[in-house]
Amino acid sequence: MLKPQTKGLLLDTTRCIGCGACALACKERNKLPKTSDDVLKDELSDKTYSVVKQVGPRYVRRMCMHCVTPSCASACPVAALEKSAAGPVIYHESKCMGCRYCMIACPFGIPKYEWEKKAPLVRKCDLCADRLEKGLKTGCATACPTGATSFGDRDALIAEAKERFRANPGRYNEHIYGIEEVGGTSVLIISDGKAEELGYPAGLDGTAPAFLTWRVLNIIPDIVMTSAVLLGGIYWIRNRRDEVEAAEGSHHETPKEH
Amino acid sequence: MPKFEVPRFTFWRGVLLVILALGTYSTVVRVFQGLAGSTNLSDSFPWGIWIGFDILCGVALAAGGFTISATVYIFNLEKFRPIVRPAILTAFLGYVLVIVALLYDLGRPWNVWHPLVMWNPHSVMFEVGWCVTLYTTVLALEFSPIVLERFKMTKTLHVMHFIMPLLVVLGVLLSTLHQSSLGSFYLIVPTKLHALWYSPLIPLYFFLTALTLGCAMTIVESFLSHRAFGKQLEMELLVPLGRVALLILALTSVIRFADFRHRGILGLPFQATYESRLWLAEMLIGVLAPGVLLAIPKVRKHTTGLFLAALLIVMGVVMNRLNVSITGMERSSGQIYVPAFTEIAVTLSVVGVGFLIFALAVKFLPVFPEHEMKEARPIVVPAGGNVSGQPIRSLPVPALVVVALAFFGAVALGADGVRRREVDPGPPAPSATKPELAAALASFTPPAEIVFPQAPDSPGPASFRHASHVDASAPDCLSCHGNTYSFLGRKEAPPAGQMHDTKHCGGCHDGTSAFAIEADCSPCHKAE
Repeated sequence: MLKPQTKGLLLDTTRCIGCGACALACKERNKLPKTSDDVLKDELSDKTYSVVKQVGPRYVRRMCMHCVTPSCASACPVAALEKSAAGPVIYHESKCMGCRYCMIACPFGIPKYEWEKKAPLVRKCDLCADRLEKGLKTGCATACPTGATSFGDRDALIAEAKERFRANPGRYNEHIYGIEEVGGTSVLIISDGKAEELGYPAGLDGTAPAFLTWRVLNIIPDIVMTSAVLLGGIYWIRNRRDEVEAAEGSHHETPKEH
Repeated sequence: MPKFEVPRFTFWRGVLLVILALGTYSTVVRVFQGLAGSTNLSDSFPWGIWIGFDILCGVALAAGGFTISATVYIFNLEKFRPIVRPAILTAFLGYVLVIVALLYDLGRPWNVWHPLVMWNPHSVMFEVGWCVTLYTTVLALEFSPIVLERFKMTKTLHVMHFIMPLLVVLGVLLSTLHQSSLGSFYLIVPTKLHALWYSPLIPLYFFLTALTLGCAMTIVESFLSHRAFGKQLEMELLVPLGRVALLILALTSVIRFADFRHRGILGLPFQATYESRLWLAEMLIGVLAPGVLLAIPKVRKHTTGLFLAALLIVMGVVMNRLNVSITGMERSSGQIYVPAFTEIAVTLSVVGVGFLIFALAVKFLPVFPEHEMKEARPIVVPAGGNVSGQPIRSLPVPALVVVALAFFGAVALGADGVRRREVDPGPPAPSATKPELAAALASFTPPAEIVFPQAPDSPGPASFRHASHVDASAPDCLSCHGNTYSFLGRKEAPPAGQMHDTKHCGGCHDGTSAFAIEADCSPCHKAE
């Protein structure tokens, strides 16, 4: 269950002026090198955790959504990715063995890899986890001059989004992206356009993908115990038949195949 | 080894040598240039053939181990005993090579042991890691009697014989679990894997195809051993295996039909798309053709016919695994993936090393134990006799037609599919015009005033006001921020007396971009 104090972001594309402050504040905070001359032409990579791009007639941010039940954290065999109590999905570098299953699992295609390095790591936004601990906002929310990116408790952000819908009738496509999608995300998006018009995956199920694998993994102990008894039983019966036959001195052919 | 086989063998040895040389070169590239230099993987396509073939197919191709050992030890079908050892050897080799291949693919292979101590029970990969580790250990133990026998360690041998049934049950459980778990990997990507392959039943499909493959691989292997080592071809064992394979093929097909019907995608395979064409090719090669061949008793009992059917099943499962891991993932990734030369070379080397070690093991260890052959059975093809089996032209005509159709049909479908290969267009393209910003600018609020600490010799307090520096109708944050000035505030106040230099106010207040600092203090410093 989601703790009420879980932090998140509310992205409002109707307020975004495409200034790029969020993207460069992110670079500053994470000490990342410059990767593009035009901030709006930049792409997510191991050196860029957050971008803002023009998609159709509006500017849209792209970054880790910090899912409530993250697919990446569920997929990671060594628990290197973890949903922290504060909200961010954080990455424990020292645990990672580089299988990249998190990249496969993420429905938003967020985790990026240091392909060029000899000891590569996964790279993505961590919602400025260290700043949150100090009671600060994320870098991007600090830099945003229009409130297109607002930081706060997830519940409060949902309330704020609904308030904006109420106060500006007709301005929004009144759907908060991230309440239901993939079981909920800590980064919420409101816009005048639909998800697919923003380049975000549309029609995502309300079930977290992590649940799809967990449902199967969950029954494994039952399968193991049942099968063990079953196989042991078959072994016992098949071999006992031999013993009985040996005792009776009869020599049947090996039983017919199943 | 029959004498006349030497030239053929030399040719294959030459091929193996070339492959291993290329593999060695590729290994050097992988070590010194990382994944970027040795693969065509990318952020949008992070798993290639090292996972799709080496791991997914590698594990599946080792399925003969658990299929045959369960048949002999658990179902007590003694007559299959002669082929237990080669099957176990293949499985053991398969798993060791899968682990080796995994080390190539992992970004940090030296951490490969982490899942054993850093647990995440929610992860399919974690479960597979444990299963593979345990099952490889079990296989090593199952294989150990062969080594013990060779070195006449009878005491240990007795212990091994005693615990063998337990090991087999454990092995069957472990392999069943992770054969299906390799499919479960993909349960987590309902929006990424194409609907032809994504299914809630994918773990079941992976398990059933592994079972079929277990039978097929045993047939193929017996045939190859018979060709290479002049071993006896146990047709009276292999024909029933063919029958079992047919049964599971049929069962899988019925389940798949019901699954497609249930999901309402019965028409999907017949669309003119890349995925549909490759799906049809997979079904033709791996299900339909071998199904028809095995259903004809005359073909099933024909050495070459049975071998062909088994070979088709093997190819079909390999196609399936590659379709799941590559074909089915391409469209959503927005990326077409073609493996790099080095990826292919490593993959071929792993297979080549498998063949090499198998051949060496057969030469130096009692893999084909003669004393386990009980009383004489009718021998279809005597060892060392006609080692090539029945000639293919003696197959019934319908069978030949099926094989030819399947082969050419699959090639045609595949070629047409590749021609239609396309990926997701991605997000909509930006329109030529800039977005309308009037509404957004209404919520623009210049950041707060920054009051600077006063130096002792300062003429008065100074501050920076965004409001007087920013054009609120077209704010351009990056003209100052992002290089010279911080977005996130300084850790400490700027050192007194340095405010006039080019790193601070002097950067712009130089008399060209803005009024010069030296001219007059009053615009900035408010006299007390």
